[in-house]
Amino acid sequence: MKDTKNFTVNRRTLMLGATAGVAALAMPSVLRAQDKPTLVTSIRSLSNPYHAVWKTGAEAYAKWAGLEHVTLVSEGNSEKGIADIKAMLAKTGGNMVLNSDPNDTPDARPIVEACAKAGAYVVTQWNKPPDLHPKDFNPNYVSHIEFDGISSGKTIAEILFKTIGGKGGIVALGGLISTTAAIERKKGLDAALAANPDIKLLDFQVANWKSTEAFDLMGNLLTRFGDDIKGIWAANDDMGSGALEALRAENLAGKVPIVGVDGIKTAVDAVRTGEFACTVTSDPFWQGGMGLAIGYNAKIGKFDPTKEPPEHREFYGKAVLISHDNVEEYYKTNVDAKPEIDWNDLWGRVTGAIRT
Amino acid sequence: MSLIPGRIAALFGGRRWRSLAPLAVLIVLCVLIAIANPNFIEVRNLVRLANSAAVPLTLAMGLTFIILMGSIDLSVEGTLSVSAMVLVLLAVNDGNGNDYGWWAVLAAIVAGTAMGFVSGLVQTMLRIPSFMGTLGMWFIGLGLSVYMLGGSAIKLNDASIRDLALHRFLGLPVAVWVAFGAFLLAAIIQYHTKLGRHILAIGGDEDVAKLSGVNVVRVRITAFALAGFFFGIAGVLAAAQLGQSHAVIGDGRLFAAVTAVVVGGTALTGGEGGVVNTLIGVLIVTVLANGMILLGISPYIQQTVQGLMIIAAVALSLDRVRLRIVK
Amino acid sequence: MSAMLQASNIIKNFPGVHALRDVSIEVRPNEVVGLIGENGAGKSTLMRVLAGGYRPDGGSLTLDGEQLRMRNARDAARHGIGMVFQEQSLVLNLTVAENIYLGAEDRFTRFGLVNWRAMNAAARRQLAKIGIDIDVTARTSELTFAARQMVELAKALTLEEVVDRQLLILLDEPTSVLNASDIEVLFARVRSLKSRASFVFVSHRLDEVLNISDRVYTMKDGAVVAEHRAAQVTAPELHEIMVGRGLQAEYYREARQQPARETVMVEARGLGANGFYHGVDLSIRAGEIVGIAGVVGSGREEVTRTIGGFVQHDAGEMKIAGDAVRFGSPEPAVRKGIGYVPRERRLEGLVMFLSIAENISLADLSSVMRHGAIDYGKERRLAADWIKRLRIKAPGPDAACRKLSGGNQQKVVLARWMTAGSRILVLDHPTRGLDVGAKEEVYELIRDLSAQGVAILLISDTLEETIGLSHRVLVMRDGEITARFDASPGNKPNQVDLLRAMV
Repeated sequence: MKDTKNFTVNRRTLMLGATAGVAALAMPSVLRAQDKPTLVTSIRSLSNPYHAVWKTGAEAYAKWAGLEHVTLVSEGNSEKGIADIKAMLAKTGGNMVLNSDPNDTPDARPIVEACAKAGAYVVTQWNKPPDLHPKDFNPNYVSHIEFDGISSGKTIAEILFKTIGGKGGIVALGGLISTTAAIERKKGLDAALAANPDIKLLDFQVANWKSTEAFDLMGNLLTRFGDDIKGIWAANDDMGSGALEALRAENLAGKVPIVGVDGIKTAVDAVRTGEFACTVTSDPFWQGGMGLAIGYNAKIGKFDPTKEPPEHREFYGKAVLISHDNVEEYYKTNVDAKPEIDWNDLWGRVTGAIRT
Repeated sequence: MSLIPGRIAALFGGRRWRSLAPLAVLIVLCVLIAIANPNFIEVRNLVRLANSAAVPLTLAMGLTFIILMGSIDLSVEGTLSVSAMVLVLLAVNDGNGNDYGWWAVLAAIVAGTAMGFVSGLVQTMLRIPSFMGTLGMWFIGLGLSVYMLGGSAIKLNDASIRDLALHRFLGLPVAVWVAFGAFLLAAIIQYHTKLGRHILAIGGDEDVAKLSGVNVVRVRITAFALAGFFFGIAGVLAAAQLGQSHAVIGDGRLFAAVTAVVVGGTALTGGEGGVVNTLIGVLIVTVLANGMILLGISPYIQQTVQGLMIIAAVALSLDRVRLRIVK
Repeated sequence: MSAMLQASNIIKNFPGVHALRDVSIEVRPNEVVGLIGENGAGKSTLMRVLAGGYRPDGGSLTLDGEQLRMRNARDAARHGIGMVFQEQSLVLNLTVAENIYLGAEDRFTRFGLVNWRAMNAAARRQLAKIGIDIDVTARTSELTFAARQMVELAKALTLEEVVDRQLLILLDEPTSVLNASDIEVLFARVRSLKSRASFVFVSHRLDEVLNISDRVYTMKDGAVVAEHRAAQVTAPELHEIMVGRGLQAEYYREARQQPARETVMVEARGLGANGFYHGVDLSIRAGEIVGIAGVVGSGREEVTRTIGGFVQHDAGEMKIAGDAVRFGSPEPAVRKGIGYVPRERRLEGLVMFLSIAENISLADLSSVMRHGAIDYGKERRLAADWIKRLRIKAPGPDAACRKLSGGNQQKVVLARWMTAGSRILVLDHPTRGLDVGAKEEVYELIRDLSAQGVAILLISDTLEETIGLSHRVLVMRDGEITARFDASPGNKPNQVDLLRAMV
């Protein structure tokens, strides 16, 4: 053998290759040769309401734009997520637009690099390493979108404080300790508390984003603080709804207001009945569709990413607040009907460049 | 006929003092927490404790039989989520127009039992170790729920089913009575039926049980179906408590159930322990979670405390001197 | 007298082994039939065929003239055939009563619930019938081996409560774990039960078989080679037929005992451990076999286990090949060239689910490694070589050790230590559970090792064996050495002298 090096394949690349191969085989053959780019959505799972709505938004945009659309699901497995994307790049010959919510922060780099190499256009959301920037991968890495967790946490806290009359005790339910979103949303809460000295944080507990854990936790908090609890701040709606059911079991639903983040349907319903004071959403429908729209417009030359200002390359999107004031309106346009979004308004929800 | 209380007395009768360890741990925990925060022994809190224990207790009843047999059932979360999914989709909900009322509850329990039955078939007929077989069933169940629920949370709007969690009988939510009924049923099965004894025998020495004429295949399949039955009930209770079902409604339940079973003193190797132990184990876990909140222990170290408790409980209840090899 | 059970021309094959070739035996009513043979002669296989555990590949079984087709133990039970197994077959985490009626709970079951009180009472009656006083609600794990054996017998006898015919009870080496007085109790029971049942009795101890049996079948290499009335044959005659060799003359291969060499391999001065033993002085030279005699609790077990690395000494000093050592675990002992052959092969000697080849290379993998990786070809060749040299009866190097008979398992253990180049062997009851032929082969091996200069420490079940094999015999009592005997060929001490120092 002249060059044995070519034959040494380590286990990891072998497995990646195998996974990629399988993924490639599973894809529809219509994708093989076509002129129009394929739209690709890469998300973590379909078993949570958030990403399910994301996918609906992506499909709505694809239908509007008349393009093929494929959803890749990583099932929380970074290697699978990356391997599937690579398989897709190979299948389309790079003629694709990717809107990705990377499974984990470090995943963003290999995804962006693979896309840039293949000539595909990519938009990432939520997760990327701080030293990875769209401007370093011109023109393929079009944009990165996040939502300001500090601002969300603070907004809902302020509404909660107002609802309970500006004074009294509250309890807070945090997300999985190590996640950025959990940390930022808590920072927002802390900021709001600092500005409202009459509000007392009785306890901050962690329910790991889960309604089931929040349900048990809330019962225990009621024992400890009883009627001192005037309001509940939850870092997401799922935990908020778990807390709500715990209140309901004690006949307290609607008497102690809850606030949360995400805008899931249960929470929106609860805002309507007054059991939730508000929820705030990044609007996954918009995220799913607009991520693709930004990438596609760059791809077909509607705008030149290299000429866009920094706040169009790495920006915070505008979160939508759903409170008593606008919930009926929101329900009509977003729950009863598919939301109407102007897919040409690429930058309408930019609130500013991401803090560094 | 020796009745259950007699049997319990025999179990804690001091013949083997180590079987008393979990009960002692529970009592010490309760006393310490009550001293630190008298709210603990308020009736309202005891009711809450019972309420939080309802779902884990029902789950752990099923799991106890499997672990007694020396097997493991990892499909807890998948089966629970299928049962909750079936319940919510067949009862009044905000996703479709069904309204089958209590037939939905029956269907949910049947679905759970069927999942367990299949786990049993996979283990005995395909001869796949329960660890792998039920791991597969876990994901099959999860996938089924994701598919049927379309990834979103569907609300349970049937008031009579929600009353399982919201209506109280003699001061306790109905769900607690259901869980207690599940415990009694499990205790009768374990201590007073052939099935319970054969499960224990298989856990002790499967070859000998077979030579003694025990139909091991049938016992195994029945045990898995029985476990699925309890998981199904737990699924109904969980959906009723949370007022909704989503695919991940079971998240974290497997770990909690295994912890409760092991902390109660049932050996993972099979043949030792039982549903009474598991009742104590569930109470320990529930009381500890409640107590840590009451004592204001930082959420950042609560998990560490739980881990320590598992090791401590196993160390106390296991006669490690008799273990030849630790693995 | 007409036969109750007739087995005709039974054939049973396993991969690579013809376990039974054309075996025919009969059992008559109210009779005890002895079944003897070397390990691997097919006794256990035959018993399992009779008990419904194996389906024969050929031949037929009839019971009272009717064709018998059994698929499992339950079918056998339905026909009144019960078995008391060689490996004790009780579920240890259940009570005595639960074990006795395991698989037969239906008669105590009403509306799906088992009436434990009735079951306990029935179990008590059953034990009373054979005159045994055991608490039926005790956990089986808390009973002695002898008591468990009686429980097993009682369990087999419960068949008479459900089967309306005379029982056939198969006793597969029931005496191997019992001491003399327990054996007497067992035999008394068997004799008193003869009016109600027939027995097939398998044992290695020929005198026992002759003592209890009416007729004796001798098996060899999967076939019945002889049938005698017990009264008309002697143990040496049976042994001759069974093994095909004479008994006493060359039994311990004394002629092959050679003087020990000069090099001292093991030396202990004032050795003591945790109250087990104290002040033990001991030396073993290369090529020397030193036996330790003593009753249970004399400390001899702990001394051997100290050298094997299982028990740490806390007083005195021990030198292995001149280096002072204090073992905290067996691993450094193995590195010092010490091989330990335990009595409980199943628990300590072999990894039963591994193959012969893997077990042999276990203690010294480097012998089969090439370029830092295990060379499977080499490992198999090595094992195949040992199988030939030690006449291990097995289909091949890949056979799992749990499928081998006791003697062959012991050979695998010895092969392992020889592969690892052990210069010191600790033999802890090396022939326990082996039949006469297998024992002789092990003795032969021990002589070979000794001739190669291996230093050997031996503790054994019988004084005869200790005296016969050893160069020197030490006697221990209450943790101390009480006597030392020279045991060179022609100058062997007698058992009475040893006994005097032991008790």
